[in-house]
Amino acid sequence: MKLPNPVDYAVPAFVLLVLVEMIVAWLRDRKRYEPKDTLTSLALGTGSTIAGALTAGMFLTLAVWISKAALFHISYAWYWFVLCFVLDDLGYYFFHWSAHRVRWFWASHVIHHSSQHYNLSTALRQTWTGFFSLGFLTRLPLFLIGFPVPMILFVGGINLIYQFWIHTEVIGKMPRWFEAVMNTPSHHRVHHATNPRYLDSNYAGVFIVWDRMFGTFVPERDDDRPRYGIVKNLGSFNLLWAAFHEWIGIATDMWKAPGLRAKLGYLVMPPGWSHDGSRDTSETIKARWEESQRKRGAS
Amino acid sequence: MNWVQLGGSIVAILILAGVARLLRLGESRINSAADARRFAEEALAGFEARHALVGTDGNAALVAGNGTIAVLKRHGAQVAVRRLTPPLRMREAVEGVTVETGERLFGAVTLLGVLPVDVQTLEAPLTLM
Repeated sequence: MKLPNPVDYAVPAFVLLVLVEMIVAWLRDRKRYEPKDTLTSLALGTGSTIAGALTAGMFLTLAVWISKAALFHISYAWYWFVLCFVLDDLGYYFFHWSAHRVRWFWASHVIHHSSQHYNLSTALRQTWTGFFSLGFLTRLPLFLIGFPVPMILFVGGINLIYQFWIHTEVIGKMPRWFEAVMNTPSHHRVHHATNPRYLDSNYAGVFIVWDRMFGTFVPERDDDRPRYGIVKNLGSFNLLWAAFHEWIGIATDMWKAPGLRAKLGYLVMPPGWSHDGSRDTSETIKARWEESQRKRGAS
Repeated sequence: MNWVQLGGSIVAILILAGVARLLRLGESRINSAADARRFAEEALAGFEARHALVGTDGNAALVAGNGTIAVLKRHGAQVAVRRLTPPLRMREAVEGVTVETGERLFGAVTLLGVLPVDVQTLEAPLTLM
């Protein structure tokens, strides 16, 4: 069965919605958009699409090869689409968790977080090195179960489209029932925030229930507005630097590290890890922040 | 992706960036020493801001902290920050002072209306420790 790529149909809507959000920013808060930042985000998005097209052949070959060993033969009935969508989103949760907890995967994913703005154009700021960093691994079990390759690609596209609209500050909170089950702008703002209390949380793609289940959910607070970006913001709009800076960082650290154990650490340990403990990880940042909160409370 | 989609994407990108520029989105500045101190504390874990110097154009600032100095520069509509250890590497600039960050892509930061002696005064308590 041939299924369309839903993202192709969504792109005109993406462009239109970015335009609408810009006008809202112009009316309400002009700091929400910045021309160079927008240009960087959109150029990174286009580069990501090109990189995806270049590696699509290899990914499809792998997918078809794994599908030959599938445990079940699953049809195109609607309920299989639904199940496939839910399982794909669960796989996305684990991919996304690892993308923040393993530096090798982070090197690819950091591009998406490298803007200090949070708007619809940020949603399109995507990686150029997703295939290289093996970002597709968590999707492979679906092929092995026996979901048809076109179905998995189709639901993956729907998942991607869903995640577009949650990259906005225009929407405050959705109805309570919706916030309980679905990923929303509020939940995802927390995910993009660098405030210590928000670090490493809300990894969901579509269903926030995964974060609630696995203990990584943190709600947005009115008294701690999210500040976006990465712990060490780039301070540059250079496209190539945004795309490759963490890979360069890994290579430099591995080159200088003493011994194999330290070299491997720079590859697989969380971002910020260092062999001599001289750098900040999200854990040390949180601990220091909690300590300062305690001191403030005591004084 | 085909060539038409690629061409369309590039045109759309340029239009959107052009609209953002046309609407004058993203204009901002570091307004005060209090702003600079807040930015530094928010960006650097464990940083306790003390005195601050802000460039007269609001594009850059220096904040003395507990043992280190935060150098701030306006980055688009936001502020990017680096933690530096005193003494700072600086040089006189036209109508101000330029502080080296040691990072090529972050670049050197120029504070207009600030003199080298102001920076030395800011960092003096930290270098004396």
